Amino acid sequence: MFDRIVAHLRAPVRIDPAFDERVMAEIATLPALTPVRPVAAWRRLAPLAGLAVAATALVLIARPAPSTRRLQFVVDAPQAATVSLVGDFNDWDAARTPMRLLRADGPVWSAVVPLAPGRYRYAFLVNGSRWLPDSAAPAGSDDGFGAPSSVVTVSGT
Amino acid sequence: MKRVALLAVLMVATRAAAQEPRLERVDPAARAPVAALLDSARATGLSTEPLIQRALEGTTKGAPADRVIAAVRRLVADLGRAREALGPSAAPPEIEAGAAALRAGAPPSVLTQLRVARRPPLTMALAVLADLVASGVPADRAAAAVLTLASTARDADLLEFRRAVERDIALGAPPAAATAVRLDASARAARPGRP
Repeated sequence: MFDRIVAHLRAPVRIDPAFDERVMAEIATLPALTPVRPVAAWRRLAPLAGLAVAATALVLIARPAPSTRRLQFVVDAPQAATVSLVGDFNDWDAARTPMRLLRADGPVWSAVVPLAPGRYRYAFLVNGSRWLPDSAAPAGSDDGFGAPSSVVTVSGT
Repeated sequence: MKRVALLAVLMVATRAAAQEPRLERVDPAARAPVAALLDSARATGLSTEPLIQRALEGTTKGAPADRVIAAVRRLVADLGRAREALGPSAAPPEIEAGAAALRAGAPPSVLTQLRVARRPPLTMALAVLADLVASGVPADRAAAAVLTLASTARDADLLEFRRAVERDIALGAPPAAATAVRLDASARAARPGRP
């Protein structure tokens, strides 16, 4: 029994001489296929995607958040040698936001600060020793610190 | 014994500075108490940033340590009351503006009413309320005005309303009268077609 099976399997296969032609004719009728190679495509796009991510990150870092507003602070301080804008937005650090003298407008000092929505206390420090409130802004509550503060509120809408 | 106590104070102050590096600028005598207040605020879910800024403000202005501590302690209490009045969903800027309104003299119930009357953020409405009261407008008049405008006015409208009232006060109008006149004008502007 075993020998007969082996002999049958070893016997050469007889194929119709027209078999190849029929197979090829069937294949020719099938629609053409586009090779799909997702990994290869991803690899082709990877450098571009990397550049896009890097560009987006640069834009996000370079630009303030959309809700941030640039506010200009001005103060009239005659005979001042230096004026600093000091407040909640710069950790009350007098060195962080020096104001610029607008010579064309007289002794008017100016600084522009980007601020996110919220309420901020601030004051002007003249010559490193004299505190001035912003006469154009509401006064902040007195905390017994011995110097005035003003407040500015930035809208979130 | 004194040395041990001094060492303990120094260690607490150093630990406080390590937790919030900006506190290194604060008077060493105020550092540990302020850090403890920050911890208690943090534990109740309050933002610590306004507290740090208040401590830095006092420090930069050369205020003595006890005044810095008192100011921060007062602000912790105000922020807590403001959050209670505004509800747990209030954002930190809203709570901070609410605390300023309470400090100015507005009752907590107005903050709660404002939360119901106006879509968030309430920061500008609360700030205008605080600023009006600080300008001399009686708290009940200021609250009534802001609540009247709250449901329809934009932030810019509220800001313009406050500026107009302050201009009138600067020109000599009594604060309550200035508020009433400007509120009436705002109501007229909101009803086009009527004289």
